[in-house]
Amino acid sequence: MTRESDKQPGGYGPPGDAPRLIGQGSVWIMVAAPTIWALHFVASYTFAATWCAKAGPSLAEPRWIIAMMGVICVALIGWLALLAVRRYGGVFVIFEEITESSERARDRFIGHVSLLLCILSAVAIVFTALPGFFFSTC
Amino acid sequence: MEELFWVLLIGAAVLWTAVIGAAVYAQKRQVDPSLERQARWFIIWGGAVIPTLLVGGLLAWGMVILRDITSDTGDLTVRVDGERWWWRVTYEGPEGDVVTANEIRIPVGQTALFRLTADDVIHSFWVPALGGKMDMIPGRETTLALTPQEVGNWGGLCAEFCGGAHALMRFDAIVMEPGDFEAWLAAEAAPAQVSEDDPGFAVFQEEGCGACHAVRGTDAAGPVGPDLTHVAAREKLGAGVYEMTPQNMALWITETHEMKPDIDMPPYPDLDGARLDALVAFLMSLDHAE
Repeated sequence: MTRESDKQPGGYGPPGDAPRLIGQGSVWIMVAAPTIWALHFVASYTFAATWCAKAGPSLAEPRWIIAMMGVICVALIGWLALLAVRRYGGVFVIFEEITESSERARDRFIGHVSLLLCILSAVAIVFTALPGFFFSTC
Repeated sequence: MEELFWVLLIGAAVLWTAVIGAAVYAQKRQVDPSLERQARWFIIWGGAVIPTLLVGGLLAWGMVILRDITSDTGDLTVRVDGERWWWRVTYEGPEGDVVTANEIRIPVGQTALFRLTADDVIHSFWVPALGGKMDMIPGRETTLALTPQEVGNWGGLCAEFCGGAHALMRFDAIVMEPGDFEAWLAAEAAPAQVSEDDPGFAVFQEEGCGACHAVRGTDAAGPVGPDLTHVAAREKLGAGVYEMTPQNMALWITETHEMKPDIDMPPYPDLDGARLDALVAFLMSLDHAE
């Protein structure tokens, strides 16, 4: 089976066929999921704090907005995890060491790390949003 | 909350034993490459999945407990305002507010909801024996619900450094039988029994005490310092610091800043013997009506 990540580095085909930001050896996928978590974290707390300061003691509406943001972010991270598996050949558990110096091995490593970071970020988003389910007032 | 403590303690003991047991087992066991796959799954479950679920579960449980103690319903509502360095206490009763200071009495087995705020700096309301601690923030109201289980006098204190006399900002938190509490609150709600020809009350008025202190039932209605309507019914003087005795009361009036540094009340060192005795006798008479 040939994978997209089996391609060796080099020409990307005709002009205009620029390398993808996520795929083909790019490392950006590794920071993407933690970045989504960080943005969700800052957005949730800023939003809740602003709401509590300006709108009043009820958290009924913000908790749903925070939950919706959480769902969207987890979905985005799920999509990244899918890319980590499909484009990079990332797996959850590596049973043999990746020691080979090849594009394919590097991609598998990036895919593996990205997949684990996706899981960690998704759990962190759930933990961030959790208080919203328990507290209905500021 | 005590339940949470025991679950955490026993859980920690079980986990510790399991981890150390696994370490000892790993030391003793022969190296066997065929076990590596198993070991990896063991690490994933024991090192990632189960801890995540455990921490998530504990987080959720902790938040349920926090929600209960910060809920805004109670059988009784008490507003406490943190001042430098004492506590203004207001009971919200069916017949209006009952204002007192520096002593909090609540009935056993009932949930008392404390509505907390602060005058000018941040304080923190804490009765360690009853659990929970809550910041008191100027311009904001925080709430704390406490449900005491045992009758007794449990000390409370300010748990957030708030200036010079922070360490002397204490109070008695007295848990009473519900019947006793009702009787106490009714007595506290009653105005003071002051006879107009009390020589001590005359000193109280001449020295201008009423500009800062209120004594309900008289024209002294100062809002600055603690309400003195039933000051002698309290167990302590100076915000939970000194025993309520005539000697301490006299020292409080004449050597105020030795008793409690930096406070707003000025000392009255020039009050001579007879006038001071009369004033102390008057203040010590501000007890509950028999």
